[in-house]
Parts: sequence; C-alpha cells; structure tokens
Amino acid sequence: MSQPLPAVFRHLIVALVFRAMLPGLGMAQEGGVPSSPERINLTNFPGELVDKVVVPIPAEIFAVLDKLDEPDWNSGIQLPAAMDRGGERSLLALTFGSLVAEGFIAVQAKNAGEIESIGKRVLDLSESLGLASSVRPHSLAIIEASKNRDWAKVRDELDATQQTVRTTMEKLRDDELSGLVSLGGWLRGTNVVTSFISGSYSEDKAELLNQPGLIAHFREMIASMRGPAASMPAIRGIATGLARLEAIITEPGNLSEEDINQLRDISRDLLEEFYFAKSAS
Amino acid sequence: MNHHSRPIAIVCAILVGFGGGAHAFVNEAISMAFEAATPYVEQGFEVREDNWSGEVEPGKPLLIRHQLFRGNEYWFWAGTSWPGATIKVDIFDNEGNSVGLESFAKGSFAGVRSLPQKTATYFIRVVATYEKTGKALTAAERGANDPVAGVGEFPGVLDWGLVYGYR
Repeated sequence: MSQPLPAVFRHLIVALVFRAMLPGLGMAQEGGVPSSPERINLTNFPGELVDKVVVPIPAEIFAVLDKLDEPDWNSGIQLPAAMDRGGERSLLALTFGSLVAEGFIAVQAKNAGEIESIGKRVLDLSESLGLASSVRPHSLAIIEASKNRDWAKVRDELDATQQTVRTTMEKLRDDELSGLVSLGGWLRGTNVVTSFISGSYSEDKAELLNQPGLIAHFREMIASMRGPAASMPAIRGIATGLARLEAIITEPGNLSEEDINQLRDISRDLLEEFYFAKSAS
Repeated sequence: MNHHSRPIAIVCAILVGFGGGAHAFVNEAISMAFEAATPYVEQGFEVREDNWSGEVEPGKPLLIRHQLFRGNEYWFWAGTSWPGATIKVDIFDNEGNSVGLESFAKGSFAGVRSLPQKTATYFIRVVATYEKTGKALTAAERGANDPVAGVGEFPGVLDWGLVYGYR
C-alpha cells in the first residue's frame, strides 16, 4: 500500500497543477478555442447584474487614437499651476483624477520631464488628501520609470496610484470621493481627446466618444451625493455640464464635428470648475 | 499589487489556502484572475488595476457592464479560489450577441478575448460552479482527514474575481 505524500509535496503538486492549467505558463500549454456563438436575453437576464462600474483609464482611448492618427501629445499637456482648494476634499479628489490623466497624456508624449512634475504634484495632492503614505511609493515609481523611459511601467503605476487612492477612500467609506477621482480623470481624458479630434475630425475618431453608459453612471453618482459637497457650486456646475454632454452623446447617429467641438468646450468648462483656471470669457 | 509580484503572491496564497483550509477570500480570486492575465502582459496587454469581485451562489450567472473601444483588443480573465470550483467567462454586445473570439476555461481560471466592432457598452458574463462530487470534494469530505468544524466546509457561495487588459 502506498504511503501518503508529505503535506509539503501535496501542496507543491497542487500549485504546479494550477500553474500548468494556465495558458502559456505550464506543461499543459494550449491555445484558446473559438467561443461558440450564443445569444443572451439582456432584458430578462437569469442572474445578477453587478453594480460596480469600472471606468476606463484615458490611456485606453489614447491607445486607439494613436492607431488612427499621430497626435502631438506634447501639445495636449496642460499642467495648471497649483491652486489652493481650501481643503475641500471633493475638489481635491476631482483634481487628483485629472492630474493622473495629465500623467497619461505625458506618457503618450514620452515627456519624462512633465511626468516627473506630475508625479510630484500627485504626491503633494495626496498629502492634502491625507493619503501620502499610500501614494509615495507609486509616485517615486512613476518618476523612476519615466527616467528609464519605461512607458508601460509609468502607465501601470499611474493606474495603480489612482486605484490605491480610490481603494483607500472606499475603505474609509468615502465612495463619493472615490467616484470623483474617476470623474476627474475621465473629464481630463475626454477634453484632450475631443481637442485632438476637433483638430482633425473623422467619424472613426469621433466614435471614441460614444460612451453614454459612463456619462449616465457619473450623472447618477453626482445625483446621489449627500452632505455639503453636493450643494457646492462646482459640483452643481458639473452636474449641469454632464447633462449637456449626455444630451449630445445620446443623440441618434454619428457624432459630427460640431458635436465634438461642443464636447470639447463643455468638458473644458467642467474642468474649469476645479482644475484649470477659469478663462477670461 | 505589482504585476511582477503576482505569480509569487498567488502561489503563496494557494499554498497557504490549502494548508490552512480557509479558501473563500475574494482577494484570492482576484489574485487568480491576475495570475491568468500574467502571460498576456508579455504579448503587450496592459492589465488594469481596477477590477470586479464578490461572492455568488454556484451556477448563478453574473453580468457586468463595461465600456470598450473599437480599435483596442481586450482580454477578460476570471478566477475563483474555492478548490474544485470552476469558472467561465463570456462577452456579449448590447444586443446580447456573443462577441468572444477566443476563450479558455480551465478549472479555477477562465478568459475570453474580444475585438469590439464598435465603441459601446458590452456585457461580460461570469459563471462560477461547484459540484460536490469526485475531485470537487475536499480532503476532509473524502474522509482523508478527520473533519474539523468549519474547516473545508463549503460556505454556500463562491468567490470570484474579474480583471481585464487591452492593447
């Protein structure tokens, strides 16, 4: 009769079997197989709809824009002067998201100097939010990776920075602030993308703005805000602006050049509520 | 978590999990999903830090909405950490048509690849299942060890995690 294997070997074998089951990693390496065509009924789905919305990072849209055109990403970087937010955490959270998006623009531009400036600003802002200890390792990694021109690593760390801040906020039961970080990033990304598209319009590029689900998500998030922040002029202005964006994006048909120009101008107006200095007009 | 440290972390998680008998940790499911993604990073996929996770009754399908952009290629990877549980992941457009081009489902890991034909909201379906027969039985349930109260017992729900990458 065979003796049972010692526990340590059983564990090792199980771990190796798990790795072997992964494509590209182990002995049982296999390519994927085509999925069988299938339809599901979305209006009567026999299961559970997951509430959580994961907002794409600007780099996802930038990647497509790079395939369609050769944008001058350096001209898209507009790091504003640091402004005193008066410790208002909602505005700090929005600004944090926009700063991270600014970092993604600088990565597309492969501009190490700007990335370093943005990395330092991200750290300064995290101190105002009381999250510096969580952000510092990412901030340093961003600066280090940019010096090494490891752009994928910079993108990875920018994403990780935002995720760390959002997760920390959620652990502190501050889901509102976490959502505002995403909104700030989305607005800055949308603004730079619409600026580039309006400069060299095509329907293929304009289609990138077809994001009604995300705008609806942000509108619901702002509408559900409670407390003093909900009645701040900046937040009310953002709520109105999001409604204007939604009205354009949900129109039937392709987004026209005029639509893109409007999206650019509205997103700029919204960013002037917390990120850019207000224009003279 | 740094992507480079994930393989080590997941093996440790598996070893600790099997040794300690405590399995149903959502973070472990996410780690497994990230582990499934690891080989694709070398192919140029950038794996997002943000993700979806939770617990679900076995066999109950989950539907996740997500914005995709035409021009990018996507992989979604799912994982569950309960021994013997299996997981599947599929992707559909906003009319309910399957748009997965390639997929795999191997026990606790699964993945599906898609090249969106339009920029829009898509739906990812995750199904985790567990049948308490054969290999799905824990060592205690097979009688290999004396059962310990609360250890190795199926809690009635499975953990799941879903991550994605693009290029």
